Parts: sequence; structure tokens; C-alpha cells
Amino acid sequence: MSEVILEGICKTYGNNFRAIDQLNLSVEDGEFLILVGPSGCGKSTALRMIAGLEDITSGSLRIGGVDVVDMPPKDRDIAMVFQSYALYPHMTVFENIAFSMRLAGKPKAERKKRVDEIAKTLQLTSLLDSKPANLSGGQRQRVAMGRAMVREPAAFLMDEPLSNLDAKLRVQMRAEITSLQKQLGVTTIYVTHDQIEAMTMGDRVAVLKGGVLQQVDTPKRLYESPVNAFVAGFIGSPSMNLFEATLTGDELMSGTFAIRLQDAAFVRRPGLRSYAGRKVVFGIRPEDLYDSSLESGRKYQTIPAKVTSIEELGSEQIVHLNIDAVRVDSGDPDAVDDFGLASNAVARFEPVSAVHSGSDIRLAVDDAKFHFFDPETHLAI
Amino acid sequence: MTRQKRSHHRLKRAVAPYLYLSPSLLIIGLLMLLPMVTVIGYSFQNSAVLRRDPSFAGLKHYQAIFADPVFWSSLWHTLYFTCMSVVFHMTIGMVFALMLNSDRINPTLRNILRVLYILPWLFTAVIIAVIWRLLLEPNGVVNSVLMQMGIIGSKVEWFSSPETALHAVTFANIWAGYPLFMVSLLAGLQGIPKDFYEAADIDGAKAYQKLIFITIPQLMPIIISISLLDFIWTMQVFPLIWITTGGGPIYSTEVLSTYTYKLAFSSYNLSQASASAVVILLISLGLTLFYIRYQKAR
Repeated sequence: MSEVILEGICKTYGNNFRAIDQLNLSVEDGEFLILVGPSGCGKSTALRMIAGLEDITSGSLRIGGVDVVDMPPKDRDIAMVFQSYALYPHMTVFENIAFSMRLAGKPKAERKKRVDEIAKTLQLTSLLDSKPANLSGGQRQRVAMGRAMVREPAAFLMDEPLSNLDAKLRVQMRAEITSLQKQLGVTTIYVTHDQIEAMTMGDRVAVLKGGVLQQVDTPKRLYESPVNAFVAGFIGSPSMNLFEATLTGDELMSGTFAIRLQDAAFVRRPGLRSYAGRKVVFGIRPEDLYDSSLESGRKYQTIPAKVTSIEELGSEQIVHLNIDAVRVDSGDPDAVDDFGLASNAVARFEPVSAVHSGSDIRLAVDDAKFHFFDPETHLAI
Repeated sequence: MTRQKRSHHRLKRAVAPYLYLSPSLLIIGLLMLLPMVTVIGYSFQNSAVLRRDPSFAGLKHYQAIFADPVFWSSLWHTLYFTCMSVVFHMTIGMVFALMLNSDRINPTLRNILRVLYILPWLFTAVIIAVIWRLLLEPNGVVNSVLMQMGIIGSKVEWFSSPETALHAVTFANIWAGYPLFMVSLLAGLQGIPKDFYEAADIDGAKAYQKLIFITIPQLMPIIISISLLDFIWTMQVFPLIWITTGGGPIYSTEVLSTYTYKLAFSSYNLSQASASAVVILLISLGLTLFYIRYQKAR
């Protein structure tokens, strides 16, 4: 059993800055858990505390059933892959991978046997005599993986290991790491700020903000049922559109438009009725907004919108729009990038859509896909 | 642009770098190359400088200095003085750099130590020589402390005894020269990514293993470069030895630089002095070529 259990973990720095606040997390044996969040949310700090590279201010941490809070990193039975890979430039690939075995005083023959096995798995056999400087980014990444694997640890800790790779290689390495993790079955905690990595790689994803855990769930549930506006905005690219509106009867009123909500919306969220006559935050993902002139959009209610700019992606169009509604900030600093100065909404339209920049359109809205949040607490209703 | 204008522009671009280089090349030529060639010429002449029409002497002056036992003892002293200085400069510089780089030392104390450790670098060779002459004189502080600690029974004449003089000047030179290593190695240490040590911590490396497997290999380019430069510079040290011992007593601290100086300005044998200077030049040149080749290889 090599589960990793964090209970009430806190990290406070000397200047009283609390980087992690009451983090409770349980990672099952063999599970691939992703820690995700915007820059400065404490995800790397949490990982470094698990590794033993940062002291834990309070709380309990157990790896494989053993309390490791006061243990040095080497005794925690973990291996770590660093963002920079931390490969020793003066050592060959073989020496890098075998370094921990050399420190442990393992005989040369044993080292060679083990490194050869790992090199074969990672397709590094022909590169064992090369120095890291002569390797490509992907090969370096694999060497870093090999160095972690050689220790046969209870848990792998990975700190943004793909962030130094170009976009194409990142996609390939994402698949490689996922399949390797499944093959080895080792408990893995993987830190990233890239929510696409989070959604595609992990069995479960833990979303952090300001050192506080927001939600831990499967990628699908995280996407479909975010617990608050931050998670709703952070998960998904482009981000969910969040607006303020007033709930009047069964209608959402905002500026010059009103959207009638179906009964199902109130059945699914009984709490929504209590917001009658009050402000509410509603969210809609870009893929749930349609061009009303196309077949796909004809069955939905429409609201007026002005197209401000279009990003042609070939398979789809990312359409930046301005609608008569007050946009709500989810608290995700990265989400700001999705909106231009003139736009407050983003939609994904089919490539056949003929809308063009500057045109006034009717935007079809799939109101069954609405998410609702409390305007004060931003918690899901 | 016409063809004529284009070729004029090309010529200007081709000549410009050499025009920028020309002042420094001129100064180097006048102040370094010319004296060097002149000294080489003197070493093959009889009564160089002293006579208007010196005759060609062939290798006579080289044979003379190679037959002189003082030259060989000077060469040995130079090697001892240089090797010991470089090794201890490096060792002390490394220890102090590691101390100053350690985050276990209080930052305020670290800043104070940084200033203290760099002090010897602020003094000129003359001041260093005077300081150590005062400290090491028979009635000086060093003797007094060592006697009080019971390490020596009677006053030692550090610079005046043939047994201790060479060690004493070497010690003074070590004290004066370690800051160069310390500063260079400290800069190197600060450039080693922290991740390397953290990865080693996770792999179970002890402090000495991190030093052997990470720190020293990472600092090796600096260690080799600075050692070679230090070797070249220390071989030519003159004022420290001249002011403390003058090469004595009984040639016990005679090094190639003082040997050459004495030949030139005490014996007025400028031809032999030139031959000796050429020997120093050849040794320095060998080391410099080695240094340049190492830098190119990097």
C-alpha cells in the first residue's frame, strides 16, 4: 500500500504568509492525482512538503501508512521529477539514472542491470553514454523519469515536468507519462498550472487557490459540477462565461435581455428558488453558446450580442462577443486572457458559421447547461 | 545604391573592426611586444645595453644561467612558492566560499564575514609585505601568540632563517591571494541550480557526497581557469618577496623574478638577466597556451 494522506497540512512562512491552509487530501494507492491551480496557489509548495523539501508548519502526512512529517526526503520513499529535470550536466544519462543506486552503494552490475531495464522501457538505451546537453527536451524529460523510476518509490512527485517542452512535444509526453504511470501503477502526484494536462492525465484533479483546496474530483465531474465560480472558470479552455443577472420568477434578467429557465433547472437546483428577486451569477461554457443562424442553434433561446473578434482554428471558431451583461470575475488570473478589452463573452462556433467581426448577431444559449453561483460566496447553487 | 557606393560601404564595414582594435593593438605592440622582442634579442648579445655595438653571444647566457646552481634553486623555490600558493588559495577560497554560500549562517554574520574575508584583496603587495614583516618579526605578534600557546619554545626569525623564510613568504602570499578564488567560487556556487541539491537530497546524498558529486564537478571550469591564471600570476610575484626577504637569507627565498632582477640591477649582467627573463617568459607562455586551449575546449 502506498497511499499518500495529507491531513490539515498548513504552511506558514516567516512573514506570516500562509501558503497552504488546512490541506486535506487522500491519494489512493496507484492513483494519478493532479494538483492544479493558478500561479502562486501553493501547489508546488504542497508537493515540496510531501517530498520533504519544505517543512510542514502543522498537520499530518502519511506515505504508505508511515508518518513522514519529520523524515528527511531520502527516507520518505518518494521520487521527484523537477520542472527543470535537475539532470547533472557533468554526468552521462547512465550516471544520472544510476545516481541514487551509486549513493546507496549498490554494486556496479546491479546498477547496470536496473538502468538497462529502465532505459529499455523509456527507449533511452542508445543514449546512455550521452550527456544531458546533447539530448532533446523530450529525451531529457525521459531521463528525469528514469531517475525517478530507478528508485522504485512508493510515490512519484512531478513538479510541472512538461512546462519546458514545446506544445507538440507536450502532447506526446502527456500520453507517454500517463501510459507509463498506468504501466507502473505507482501512486503519482503531478503539479501543473495547465488545466488541459490536469483534465487529460489525472484519475482525479485537486484544484487549489490561494493555498486552499477548492475541489477534488474526477476531471469530468470537475468540468460538469464545479463547486464554485473559481473552479468553473479555471477548468475549461476558454473559460466559462460568468455573468450577473437577476432571477425574476423563472426568468434571468440582465440588461436588455431575459432568458426563461426550464423547470428542470429548478428541479436540479432546489436552492435556486430562494434567489427569486435577487441577484445570481450564472455561467455558461463557450461550447454551450451557438450561432442562431445555424441548425445547431435553432432550438435555443437567443440573446443579442456583438462579435468583437474571431479566432479561426480550422475545426472551430473562437468568437469573442459583447453581450449586455455584467461579467463576473471567477478569481482565476488566467481567465482574464480569454477576454479582449471590448468583449465579455467567448463562444465556440462551428467552422461553417459566417459571423464576422463587428456584426450584431443573435446568440443561441443552451440554458439547460447553465451553472449558478451565489453572487457573494461564489459557491455553486 | 550604385555599385561604387555599395563597394565603398562594404569596405567600410570590413575595415571598421580593425580601426576599433588599432589603439589597443598599438599600445600592446609598444608596451609589450617591443620590450619582449628586445629582451629576447638582449639574451643573445654580449654586454647588452651596456655597449653600443654588442656582439652576438649565441646561447652562451642560457648555458651560464643553466650552469648556475642559484638559478636551479630559484626555479625550485618558484615552483614550491607557486604550487603551495595555488593549492592553498584554492582550498581556503573553497572553504570560505562554501561558508559564505551556506544558508545556515545568519545573513548579517554572512555579510560581515564576506567583508572580512575579502580584506586581503584590498591591500597592495607592499602593504601585505609590511604587515607580515611586522607580524612575523622576532618580537612580533605571531611569535608571542605561538609562545604563549606553547607551540614554539623560543622566538623564531621567520623571514631571517633559511629553514623558515620560504614557508613564511609562501604563507604571506597565500593570505594575500585566496580572495580571488573565494569570490570566483562563490559566484560559481550561486550559479549551481538549487534543484541539483534537492534532487540529491531525495536520492539520499550526504553533505560530502553532494560536495564531491555536484559542487566540485559544477565548479571545475572555474577551478581550472582560476588555478591556471593564479599559477601564471604567482610565478611572477616580485614585490612581496623583494620587500620581505629580498630573496635571502642565503638565496633561500630566491625565486626566478628576484634572481633575474638581481642579475640585471645588482650585477648589471643584463644579457644573462634577459636570458633568465626569457626562461620565465617561456614557462608563462606554456601555461598561457594551456589556459587558452582549455578555454577554447570549453
